[in-house]
Amino acid sequence: MEEILKVEGLTKTFKQPKKLFKKTDGPETKVAVDNLSFTAYKGEIFGLLGPNGAGKTTTLRMLATLIKPDSGSATVCGKSIISDETGVRRKIGFLTSELKLEDAFTPEYLFDFFSGLYGIDKGVTQARKFALFQKFGIDAFKSQKYGNLSTGMKQKVALVVSIAHDPEFIIFDEPTNGLDVLTARVVTDFLQELKKDGKTIILSTHIFSLVEKLCDRVGILIEGKLAALDALENLTKEKNLEDKFFELYERVTGATI
Amino acid sequence: MKNVILIIKKEFNRFFKDRRMILMIFLPGVLIFCLYTLIGTVMEKVTPSIPEGYEYTAVVVNMPDGEKFKALDSVLDVRNLSVEEAKSGVAEGELDIIVEFPSTFTADVESGASPEVKIYYNSSVDTSFQGYAVVTAILNGLNAFTVNSSPAEVFDLVNSEKQSTNLIAMMIPMLMFSLLASACIAVAPEAIAGEKERGTMATMLITPVKRIEIVLGKIVSLSCYAMLSGLISFLGVILSLPKLSGGLINLGAVSYGAGTYFMLFGIIISIVLVMISAFSVLSTLAKNVKEATAFIGPFMIIIILLGMVSMFFPNPSVGLYAVPFIGSGIAMSAVLAMTESILGVVLAIVSNLVLTALLIILTGYMFKKESVMLKK
Repeated sequence: MEEILKVEGLTKTFKQPKKLFKKTDGPETKVAVDNLSFTAYKGEIFGLLGPNGAGKTTTLRMLATLIKPDSGSATVCGKSIISDETGVRRKIGFLTSELKLEDAFTPEYLFDFFSGLYGIDKGVTQARKFALFQKFGIDAFKSQKYGNLSTGMKQKVALVVSIAHDPEFIIFDEPTNGLDVLTARVVTDFLQELKKDGKTIILSTHIFSLVEKLCDRVGILIEGKLAALDALENLTKEKNLEDKFFELYERVTGATI
Repeated sequence: MKNVILIIKKEFNRFFKDRRMILMIFLPGVLIFCLYTLIGTVMEKVTPSIPEGYEYTAVVVNMPDGEKFKALDSVLDVRNLSVEEAKSGVAEGELDIIVEFPSTFTADVESGASPEVKIYYNSSVDTSFQGYAVVTAILNGLNAFTVNSSPAEVFDLVNSEKQSTNLIAMMIPMLMFSLLASACIAVAPEAIAGEKERGTMATMLITPVKRIEIVLGKIVSLSCYAMLSGLISFLGVILSLPKLSGGLINLGAVSYGAGTYFMLFGIIISIVLVMISAFSVLSTLAKNVKEATAFIGPFMIIIILLGMVSMFFPNPSVGLYAVPFIGSGIAMSAVLAMTESILGVVLAIVSNLVLTALLIILTGYMFKKESVMLKK
């Protein structure tokens, strides 16, 4: 199997806000991601499952070259996130609620603009825009300002714009968060379609059903560390994913839930 | 009451535990002090200070005999020139005043007629204008004749173009600096800090576009906008100057050539570029638009102050032109007064461009720092 993503010993530490540790005498830094290693293979959907604050978003941000790891490395389609940031950026699509689009522009303009930033040929852009807009029903509102669209419409536009350059590797950070059931369904169907097209996807979520429905392999992230890494079917052999997750959570944190 | 105190405490914590907010409390006061001190100093400079016992250089035509005219002798340093030579001397500022008594003055006064004494002066020269006032006061005390009573005759021999250009040269740099800075502050915080705040900047940061390309794109587009806005304001200022200066500026008398406008344009473009790049650095540092505006506000006052500083250097050395902002003000002032040194103007523009390049590199460097770009 072709390795598309290879993560080796990725670590990221953040400074705690000063006001916090002054009063509590807590540590000055927090290890958000601790020596993380895993691999994603071509054509699979890799799920990164974990509670809030487990380090999922930090991991994805490092893979998308938005932030730099303190140590460790990763390669995306053979390009290093440390030494070839631009090369990585060319290969990936990143969809997260943190990355927003300008309210003042129309979906049509935004698609053309981002496609242009990736240096995509105009003819290819138009053909791809036509196909994607039709598939997601964006045609109906392609000339309206992004700011005037509903949350569902915005998510569809953001999704389409994030893959305007037809990336090989796609990062989805909580892709169905805040979406109604209809739009969430459109998104999950599209993820499966991308997989069929041979794209590799890494998906971060805290929704068990989403992982069970979509992912081939799963990494369970708790307090910045991988508590489990296996194929979905192996992880859910004895019990369902939710029960498995809580078992791991209690074991790692010592908490009783 | 307990809740109110809790809320007050929370707000105080927010204000006084943030070094930036504390700085913002003190900075306006410090800047106001600097501004007012500067204005005071400028006013002292502008108010004519003529040394005590100064004798006004003058040509007196048909000086009448008599004790009562002795007072004139004590204040005038009388020169021997023809009236025509004297008039051009007054116009050029080489001679202070001309006092012209009619040849029939004594006879007229004795016959009870009221002869006219003409005093020519130059209102743009402090000693001339003051001399005119002193001599008029002395003569008015003597009665029996009138001073400058011919309504059709022009007694103020000021060179209208020179006066207008001098006034324009003095007023424009500060006005222009304020206008350009206002135009820049209208767009710079929003374009970078605004994009960071809204999360749209990060969307661009994950594309393969180089950080420095984003910075350049921003700075060029912002500069164009600020430039346009600044030039429209500039036009407004130029057109309103005659009114603003109480009629002292006569635009019809000013004949700037294409070279002047070309140089002015070059200086203005370079000022806009350096302002936008400086504001971009601050806007990049800020977490949101509010913070960016707070950062840029005091900086804008400093820039306007530096624009004013050019007033202090009527005869600047060429090296001074290379000092950012101050040099631009001096260059603009000199170009408008038509006393520019081409080398100085080039130095002012080049120093602005060099500073712009350095600030762009700095912004590009900051764009690579996650602690700056993804700060919440």
